[in-house]
Amino acid sequence: MADLNTLLQENEFVLLDGAMGTLIQKSGAKYDHVPETLNITEPDLIGSFAAAYADAGSQIVYANTFGANAYKLQGTGYTVQDIVPAAIAAAKKGVAGRDVLVALDIGPIGQLVEPAGALSFEDAYDYFKEMVLAADGADAIVIETMTDLYEMRAAVLAAKENSTLPVLATMTFEASGRTFSGVSAAAAALTLSALGVDALGVNCSLGPDQLGPVVKELSEYTDLPVIVKPNAGLPDPNTSEYDIGPEDFAGYVENLLPYGVKIIGGCCGTTPEYIAKVREMLQDKKYTPLPKVTKTAVCSASTVVEIDGPRIVGERINPTGKKRFQQALRDGEIDYILNQAISQTEAGAEILDVNVGLPGLDERAMMVRVLKAIQGICDAPLQIDSTKPEVLEAALRVYNGRPIVNSVNGEEKSLSTVLPLVKKYGAAVIGLTLDEDGIPKTAEKRMEIARRIVERAEAIGIPREDVYIDCLTLTVSAEQGACRETLEAVRRVTEELGCRTALGVSNISFGLPNRELINRTFLTMAMENGLKLPIINPNVESMAGAVRAYRVLSGIDENSLDYIDEYKDYVPPKTVPGGGGGGAPAPKAAETQQGSASPGKNDPVFTAVVKGLKNEGAAAVREQLKTTDPMEIINGKLIPALDQVGADFEVHKIFLPQLIQSANAAQECFGVLKEYIAKNGAPSVSKGKVILATVQGDIHDIGKNIVKVLLDNYGYSVIDLGRDVDPKLIVDTAVEQNVHAVGLSALMTTTLGSMEKTIHLLRDEPKLQNPDGSSNVTVMVGGAVVTQDYADKIGAEYYCVDAKATVDACKTIFGQ
Amino acid sequence: MIELHALNRAEAVRYLGDASVEMNASMEALLDECEKEVLANAEPKYLTRVIDLPCPQLEEGNDIREHLKGCDKALLMCCTLGNGVDRMLRRAQVTDMAKAVVLDVLASVAVEQACNQVDHIVQELYPERYFTFRFSPGYGDFPLELQNWFLTELNAPKRIGLTTSASLLLTPTKSVTAVAGMSREPIAKKHRGCETCNAREHCPFRKVGTHCGGS
Repeated sequence: MADLNTLLQENEFVLLDGAMGTLIQKSGAKYDHVPETLNITEPDLIGSFAAAYADAGSQIVYANTFGANAYKLQGTGYTVQDIVPAAIAAAKKGVAGRDVLVALDIGPIGQLVEPAGALSFEDAYDYFKEMVLAADGADAIVIETMTDLYEMRAAVLAAKENSTLPVLATMTFEASGRTFSGVSAAAAALTLSALGVDALGVNCSLGPDQLGPVVKELSEYTDLPVIVKPNAGLPDPNTSEYDIGPEDFAGYVENLLPYGVKIIGGCCGTTPEYIAKVREMLQDKKYTPLPKVTKTAVCSASTVVEIDGPRIVGERINPTGKKRFQQALRDGEIDYILNQAISQTEAGAEILDVNVGLPGLDERAMMVRVLKAIQGICDAPLQIDSTKPEVLEAALRVYNGRPIVNSVNGEEKSLSTVLPLVKKYGAAVIGLTLDEDGIPKTAEKRMEIARRIVERAEAIGIPREDVYIDCLTLTVSAEQGACRETLEAVRRVTEELGCRTALGVSNISFGLPNRELINRTFLTMAMENGLKLPIINPNVESMAGAVRAYRVLSGIDENSLDYIDEYKDYVPPKTVPGGGGGGAPAPKAAETQQGSASPGKNDPVFTAVVKGLKNEGAAAVREQLKTTDPMEIINGKLIPALDQVGADFEVHKIFLPQLIQSANAAQECFGVLKEYIAKNGAPSVSKGKVILATVQGDIHDIGKNIVKVLLDNYGYSVIDLGRDVDPKLIVDTAVEQNVHAVGLSALMTTTLGSMEKTIHLLRDEPKLQNPDGSSNVTVMVGGAVVTQDYADKIGAEYYCVDAKATVDACKTIFGQ
Repeated sequence: MIELHALNRAEAVRYLGDASVEMNASMEALLDECEKEVLANAEPKYLTRVIDLPCPQLEEGNDIREHLKGCDKALLMCCTLGNGVDRMLRRAQVTDMAKAVVLDVLASVAVEQACNQVDHIVQELYPERYFTFRFSPGYGDFPLELQNWFLTELNAPKRIGLTTSASLLLTPTKSVTAVAGMSREPIAKKHRGCETCNAREHCPFRKVGTHCGGS
């Protein structure tokens, strides 16, 4: 019996089967719920389809298991363990006596994975694992019709970790060259190649006439055999007939062969006739692989960054030396970190370093949480920064794309623990030129360590192009000659080892005045010596600007297009004596929203909050802190301003977004005050702690988020547990953090039950009860489908019709 | 193909402001900015299928039976703005909540407009037919559980990437599934009234004596 590798080696092309669903439909076979139940009720019919495809020339047939996962089988009365073995047996019986492989076929689970849907990556993995474990007797595992790279990764990991069978992975692309969830062909090819699948490509999607660009892009980003398994064109909406016949289908497929296609089959609408025609067409054809165009690249699900010139790595997601960031980590304030991600990419960062290591914090859990959150809103590829292998492994699992690991170094312990992880998950890695003896002084010694790292990486199959050497920046004021050694090492690693280099730049200037000038000059010198990954603060314009200018001057930015695009509206910053604005554009003056008389009407803090002007509010608070007590600013200006806006909202004088704009302005003011108070050791300004959560099963959390912004700005400390929250997590958090006010939101009638369940759990928790057994937690509920009656029925103390009502409830609960 | 060029501003303002707030320049500017962003991120896709009545799934509940009375065919449809809009909304909720609220409302308006375009496309294919307005799972006593039946009938997960979560929420979130009745005889004008609306208990429009834009 052949295996996939033999098939690939001995044949110019390998033929897959055509559609299963189309044959089932044509046969008129009746089934309940899902067509996979036919494996049990009509095994001979299913086997006859495999036989028909084998007759037509298919060398690999897919078992009828596309939807045989536990989620889709709900309600059928069958388990995965019933269906999968029956399907494989039926197909095997159909092709008995012939040298044809039978593959376990894995399709999408049927609900979207986070962040687009509610299914967690870990649960997706478990669904796939169950199928893989049931696939006794299969010769290969096919994962197909995926549109989400995250779900695809979960399936590939499940296949590779629970079986030794070869894995074929195909995704479904639109005419735009992307999948429904925005995955580019290049990102799919890079990620799947790195994960170690055996072949990759495209299935379903469009007809073969439209797939040229997608197949070409896939080929350019992989060395693996490329698969095409297209539909028979497009279906008629009412008859479901497809519009490309077998002859034309084969002709179109022929046009795809120059793009490196090796494995061919058909998807929706195709039948054995189509496969026979393709087989005929292939008879005198030769496989012509396309050379891979990229040397080394990293990616998110949507964005590929090739390391072919200097690429800005943003360094800001790192708590080292940053009090505010540390506080955000301790408080689980993920939004703060997300804003750091967004502001860096807006300033020009192309890759983001992510470090959440802080003593006393569960770094592993925090890394997973932060990575998932960042990739839900940000397209830049990420660089996972930790010294702990267990943190790296957890992060590599949940990262959606191909990341950089930061870092490995020349120490034996690091080499032997980090490199295998890099290999398994197919990442790129930063290699620090230090070892047990510390950082060598000379370029020569650093080269030696770099060489060692590269050798060890290559020994386990990590190509040297994917090892980015960090020659380490030392402080020039402490050791002036060290700068030359670093630059020399950067040049030699580039020229002699053929590796890309990375450098954390800002260390260079410690202890000197005007650090930015030293940093920028050093950065320019390093780029001239070959630096590809400067790890910098992109929000400092002169640093990101130096990289952009370098790209122009070294001919990387062709015709200066990127540079011109960035600076076409550039206006030199005006130097305002004593101005603290930092060159930020002045916000547009908003309309005065109302003119109600108020004690603070002419106060700049009060006015800025009422008008929703963030920067002006913060500046005014800074100014007033010179002469005014912070509590006086809070109680005398911020709160009255918020009260006035709230009152205007209630009488329909302003729109909800304007209420929020005012709240945001107040938040900016609170930020300044918190910093001041932290510095001066004054008491906390929190009025009380509140847990907020969108209940389990519900993922529409805009309402909860509005409430959060308002509560934050009225001075309450909000512990935001997010959406789709397990009731138990809410109870545990209340106990651990000693919180006695909980706000729950639900959008769907179907998730109201979770709200009730959460309240029951809160009431039943002995640690949240008064000595007399009564509950000491006050519950506020709200959301589109919640009513006062319902709130009463489930025993919530407060029904909050809108965000403002939640603030009012908190005022009553906390007495302030 | 459906294309969105401009969004129904008046409808968005009604959702945003409890129907009685006066427009002002800063809100106009915010709406302009958000409209551009919604249009840039929306990738409307739809599927339709005409089926014969009776159909057991379309008889679950008094409201749908009443709605399809006199119809011998039904148009099943689904429509989504795609994942890009959800991502845009997630991002805005982190960076600027005020903007997020406006984006959310405009995206809801956009999917409604996309559905109206689908209606027109189908109605042109059946000029001899009269159509009822769209009725969706979850209206009145028409079970929300039928979301998955609609999606399966239309092959929506595979063809346009539209699925439900385990709690029957459509994902991507700015999506619609619906059925419209088709008849050879004129259909008495029905109103998408408040009595079949799930929001009737707390509807901000009803509170001030008006109703939302559905017609």
